[in-house]
Amino acid sequence: MVISIVLILIVTYLACGLLFAIPFVIKGVDKIDEAANGGSIGFRIIIIPGAMVFWPLLLKKWIKQGGHKK
Amino acid sequence: MGASYLAVGWNRQKKIYDWFIFAFCALYLTTFIAVTALYNPDYTFETALIRSTATLAILLLHVILSIGPLTRINKKFLPLLYNRRHLGVTMFSVALIHGSFSMLQFHALGNVNPFVSLFTSNTQYNSVSQFPFQALGFFALVIFFLMAITSHDFWLHTLSPKIWKALHMFVYLAYFLVIMHVMLGVVQYETNPVLFVMVLAGAATLVTLHLVAGTKEVRKDNRIFKLKKEGFVYVCESQDVPDNCAKIFCIDKERIALFRFENKLYAIHNVCKHQGGPLGEGQIIDGCITCPWHGYQYLPQNGQSPPPFKEKVSTYIVTVEGSQVWLNPQPLPEGTERSGAAIIIPDKQIIENVQ
Ligand code: HEM
Ligand code: HEM
Ligand code: FES
Repeated sequence: MVISIVLILIVTYLACGLLFAIPFVIKGVDKIDEAANGGSIGFRIIIIPGAMVFWPLLLKKWIKQGGHKK
Repeated sequence: MGASYLAVGWNRQKKIYDWFIFAFCALYLTTFIAVTALYNPDYTFETALIRSTATLAILLLHVILSIGPLTRINKKFLPLLYNRRHLGVTMFSVALIHGSFSMLQFHALGNVNPFVSLFTSNTQYNSVSQFPFQALGFFALVIFFLMAITSHDFWLHTLSPKIWKALHMFVYLAYFLVIMHVMLGVVQYETNPVLFVMVLAGAATLVTLHLVAGTKEVRKDNRIFKLKKEGFVYVCESQDVPDNCAKIFCIDKERIALFRFENKLYAIHNVCKHQGGPLGEGQIIDGCITCPWHGYQYLPQNGQSPPPFKEKVSTYIVTVEGSQVWLNPQPLPEGTERSGAAIIIPDKQIIENVQ
């Protein structure tokens, strides 16, 4: 029972992460790390799993950066 | 480095390394499965796959964990260290096959969600002989997963080196979980003690290697430099530094690498700008000090990466008097050019002091 709830929470979290990851690897990543500008497609795909796990942190950085440079 | 990110920064050496890993894994798995089919024809293919990937993963894990201390003990192991992350990702992939097939075989056949089944099919957490050892393997796999998905340099910058390194250190917890996974699992189904003994021997070897390398390191760091004059400290005799290699000295808590290149001595800060790799444990390749971890390069003459790269490390002034090497532990600004201290060839016995 408890395990089912924890599993559902984890799956929900990762699903949100996947939703976030798509715009992030297309646009957001260039904003938070300048070395990502011109980064290859392979690079963008390879960071998706990580983005699904660490998305709250990346979201925070993206919002912050958006404020600094237009 | 100055360039944009790629998925994998392959070069010739890394390709050879990856092909070697791949060939070794393929050979290991096919041999294991063939031998199983020959001697235990009643085994299913799934069981052979689960066991072959399990043993390969734990073997690779032991290699990964020995590389650090081995290179500190003997430089011959340096080629293993370079590109270690690919070994880590390979280990994770192999373990993932083992874990996935175990889940399929033991938990996906009922109508309970396999992940629920993993934790509920056996709840004898207070028993040794019946312990749900699979949960231990699962948590180890989660740790390896986190390490594998954050292995790109992008994550090092984004998470900050400190957090990334902390995450990395969980590998020791994962190792412990794997050992318990095997120990508590094997007693449940295996009558042959070979695997048991091998894992114990492997763990003992790893602990010994880390202790030997660790004490060596501590002894080096605690060395007291007594001979001082005018800001310089006496560090060693000039013939102590092997050609194209370095000796590392820890002076006032800073590690400094003293390199010998074309019979001159150059000192630079020991810490690589990429991920803090120990430059003094690397060698000079094509005239550049090459970091043993991922191959960032620096010129001995000025501590700068050759263009187009922009990394710079602090440099230090060295002098040679007779056979004595003196080093000024006051760092010069990063990337400062200074000439090397020429080593005086003993048979000429001329005291010339090139600085
Ligand atoms: C998958 C991505 C991986 C990358 C990028 C990677 C890279 C690195 C790097 C750069 C270091 C040196 C960092 C430091 O000590 O501060 C390191 C250390 C280490 N790695 Fe990995 N590795 C990866 C996976 C793994 C895996 C899966 C394991 C084990 C199963 C592992 C085991 C270790 C250990 C034990 C150390 C520290 C010991 C030492 O300094 O010698 N790594 N790794
Ligand atoms: C989801 C994660 C995992 C699950 C469900 C799992 C499950 C199992 C199972 C069911 C066995 C018994 C196999 C048999 O009866 O033949 C086993 C054995 C073993 N596992 Fe895992 N495991 C997991 C993760 C890992 C990881 C991460 C490692 C090491 C890197 C590992 C290493 C081993 C080893 C060395 C054995 C003994 C192999 C043998 O009997 O020949 N496991 N595991
Ligand atoms: S630490 Fe990565 S190249 Fe030096």
